[in-house]
Amino acid sequence: MEKEIKRIITVLAGICILFVSLVVYLTYFQIFKADKVKNSSYNKRLWINEEKILRGSIIDRNGKILAYSELNGETYARVYNYGSLYSHIIGYSYRDYGKSNLELYYNNVLLNTSESAALNELKNLVEPNSEGNTLKLTIDHHLQEYSRNQMKGKKGAIVAMNPSTGEIYAMVSLPDFNPSTLREDWGNIVEDENSPLLNRAISGLYQPGSTFKVVTAISALENNMYMEDYECTGTAVVDGYPLKDYDGKGHGTVNLNEALIYSCNPYFAETGIKLGIDRLSETAEKFLLNREIPFDLPVKKSLFPKKGNIGKTDVAAASIGQGKVLVTPLNMALIASGIANKGDIMKPVLVKEVISKDGKVIDSFKAEVISRATDIFTANELKNMMVDVVNKGTGKNARISNIRVAGKTGTAENPSGNDHAWFIGFAPADDPKIAIAVILEEEGSTGGQKAAPIARNIMLEALNTINN
Amino acid sequence: MLNRGVNYKIPRNLLFLFESIALFLMFMYYRNALDRSTIIYGLSLIFIIYISNLILSKIVSGDNYIFLIVTMLASIGIIMIYRINYEQGFKQIIWISLGIVLFFATYFIVKRIKGWEKLFLYYCLASVFLFLATLLLGRRFKGAINWISIGGISFQPTEIIKILAILMIASYYTNYDRFKEKKWGRYYLIGIMYLFVFFLFLQRDLGSVLIFCSLFLALQYIYDENRKLVLANIVVLMFSGLLGYVIFPHVRIRFETWINPWKYIDTIGYQITQSLFAISEGGFFGTGLGLGHPDFIPEVSKDFIFSAICEEMGILTGIGVIMLFMILVYRGFKISINQRNKFFRIVALGISILFGIQSFIIFGGVINMIPLTGITIPFVSYGGSSMLSSFIALGILQVASEELDIEED
Amino acid sequence: MFNILSLVFKYVFIVIIYMFIFSIIKLIYLDIKGIRPIPADSGTYLKLINRKDTLPFKVKEYYPLEDNVFLGRGNDNEIVIKDPYISKKHLRIVKDEDEYFLEDLKSANGTYVNGDRVMDVVKLNNGDRISVGQVEFLFVNKE
Repeated sequence: MEKEIKRIITVLAGICILFVSLVVYLTYFQIFKADKVKNSSYNKRLWINEEKILRGSIIDRNGKILAYSELNGETYARVYNYGSLYSHIIGYSYRDYGKSNLELYYNNVLLNTSESAALNELKNLVEPNSEGNTLKLTIDHHLQEYSRNQMKGKKGAIVAMNPSTGEIYAMVSLPDFNPSTLREDWGNIVEDENSPLLNRAISGLYQPGSTFKVVTAISALENNMYMEDYECTGTAVVDGYPLKDYDGKGHGTVNLNEALIYSCNPYFAETGIKLGIDRLSETAEKFLLNREIPFDLPVKKSLFPKKGNIGKTDVAAASIGQGKVLVTPLNMALIASGIANKGDIMKPVLVKEVISKDGKVIDSFKAEVISRATDIFTANELKNMMVDVVNKGTGKNARISNIRVAGKTGTAENPSGNDHAWFIGFAPADDPKIAIAVILEEEGSTGGQKAAPIARNIMLEALNTINN
Repeated sequence: MLNRGVNYKIPRNLLFLFESIALFLMFMYYRNALDRSTIIYGLSLIFIIYISNLILSKIVSGDNYIFLIVTMLASIGIIMIYRINYEQGFKQIIWISLGIVLFFATYFIVKRIKGWEKLFLYYCLASVFLFLATLLLGRRFKGAINWISIGGISFQPTEIIKILAILMIASYYTNYDRFKEKKWGRYYLIGIMYLFVFFLFLQRDLGSVLIFCSLFLALQYIYDENRKLVLANIVVLMFSGLLGYVIFPHVRIRFETWINPWKYIDTIGYQITQSLFAISEGGFFGTGLGLGHPDFIPEVSKDFIFSAICEEMGILTGIGVIMLFMILVYRGFKISINQRNKFFRIVALGISILFGIQSFIIFGGVINMIPLTGITIPFVSYGGSSMLSSFIALGILQVASEELDIEED
Repeated sequence: MFNILSLVFKYVFIVIIYMFIFSIIKLIYLDIKGIRPIPADSGTYLKLINRKDTLPFKVKEYYPLEDNVFLGRGNDNEIVIKDPYISKKHLRIVKDEDEYFLEDLKSANGTYVNGDRVMDVVKLNNGDRISVGQVEFLFVNKE
């Protein structure tokens, strides 16, 4: 009898534990997972409001209409004026394919609804919601178009921005797709090996190659560990592993400035080893690697190897932007902006203003510093070095007559294919109005040769046409 | 120093209050489609529930809580069903009322008639008969052959077999000494249970397989003298579970959908992901009755009514439902411990375990804590067979909660 | 209009449901502690004084009293106690104009109220102790 009761209680305890675990799981789910789940574009609840509300338009910084909704019989249909040009910025909004990019992340703003259904009901009681808000972007349509044309036929990304406010003037990622013909192209788009749906500017991770040397240089300056006389023979042997310059010829005796101008790999590898991974990563993180970058769209985290068991070869590789270092093009543009902006990196912004249906500006962005990456003096020194890069060094193709342009080229070795061609820079050097990062994926050519001229053209165009 | 009497009035009245407000809200929701008969039916249900609880507390000497808890569960269920689908709500009212009638009927019949523990053979035969009938006459519904349709009335034989199985197991262990003497007597039960599981597998009713196995395992663990047999059983079941996973693709699919439903969101994962959407939409307090979209979930009134409850009435209500089941199971176990008649003790245990395991499996399934199986929530889900058989089981449990005569052997 | 109601009621529902759950838990808790729930509308009953587990037969904690209650060993009594020292029909408690009277029905071992043997009829007062067979009750009359 006794045993029986004990066993009965055991079974009861077992069942109670099962129930308690249900409650725990349910609570856990609600607290931690619910929000992410709710925002999946498969959730029809995101759609129910659509039918009755005129979705807000999206316009560029000068008021040009990029996307809007028009009445098509009973329902609203979305019109994308410029097709693929804004595919990675605005994205698309379709019942059958869900929403992406700004159409997704600013869904509530575009519909003038709030997250909570209850709040919406209350608001509807006061005044029925019929029209959404307009998004005014920081994008300059002319520059966006110009930039895309510069890169036509290639793979990669461009980010052009204002270093002192963080406003993004142009963001291009190729290959892209046409949201207007999404339905017809869907099969091809999804199966395309080159991933046209991927926004390479914020979701593509690449090795930065020599463009990363600006970060290494800053780390060296701040820690007072830069070499005045280094004998560059074109090769350095690190832990038995040979590290070469691009042409392997050797630059002779160089200091930091010269090493940057000619992009001397052995110099920076030695400098990196001297600094050690801790100091290097500290600087890298001030330049936003390993950190979440706040933005109107989700940005992939750039990676820099941190403390731990990191061998010398890894450190050497990291100091020249190879090995385990991976960055997004946006991150590189922000690095350039930081140097341009006296060492302060501003928060990148895509949405300039939110305008209500009555024309009132109900929200506008405020420029915000997200990292004090370095001090004004170091930034200044780097700036001057980068001007030299363009005037005397690998960045000659970025020269603009009568304007001091600062820049750094990069040619990243790509383990699975051709090299990537990079260029980062800003202009005019003394009062920067535009900062840029350009990457040509698997270009098979140097940054100086292919990326620099594109950056130059875009910067010039920006300086000529953007005046606000 | 006698304290003020505690009484059943409070929960009974709370239930009444809840039902009234909810019904009022529902009438407002459907204000355009209301007609006289609906109002009458709705009010009658509240009435019936109130009166039954009242009657029960007067005439019955046993437990009163279980019926209270069950009627609260049924109320929550029916409000949700009614909100989702007018006609189903209507039918559910009928089922609940019938259920309550059956409850009382079962109570009186089981109490009056003695000798239930002697019918081992009959329980077996009836179950096998029903299984065969299902296989021969049954219709496939969503992959499982569950239903029999006779002359316009369709029902799920599995629901009846569940109760028969409990009675069978109880009668077996009550007369264990007699069975021990027979040649293979010790193994009768285990053999029959495997037969049942086999039938269920043929029917592709994986949820019921789980229920039967757990039920049998639990009761065997408590009552079988042959401890090695219990262990052997556990091992065999686990092994066959693994085997099932390897051999049968439809088992594998369930598992894969459970691990990552998002991958299959367009196909088999559609239901469970919609359920997750609903649950996350509600938050802790819900969106409010009528303000959510539980109808986005396919087949919501049956298995996924819990998700609908979480969406519109909040996770807190969902937790409340879980707690009610927990109390119900606890109560059932307490009843069984207090019962001196061995047959009814086992029966009470079996029924409590049944309620507990069944609700756990389906709750766990719809929130994606465990793989999804297609079974109903007792008392809450829409469906006649489930409702009626649950009330019958409850009636038997009610009998078991009273002081019964022990058979003088 | 409906929307506001629904928004308000969702909180109301949760409150009611949890009050329901807690009232049931409370009832069960008190049950475990040994205090049986009494029907609140009846203020008169017999409360068992002996410890229940010392008695070799079934007996309850409370027996509510109505107008006319028979107590004995036989099954046809309102209060059935299988005590061998209690007669088949042992005693009867009657309500007459708001007063309760106990009548011993010529039982073999007698009925004792407050220690005194009852010869035929005696009026019961709140707090009286009634002894019958091996059982002792407290007579409670709230009115």
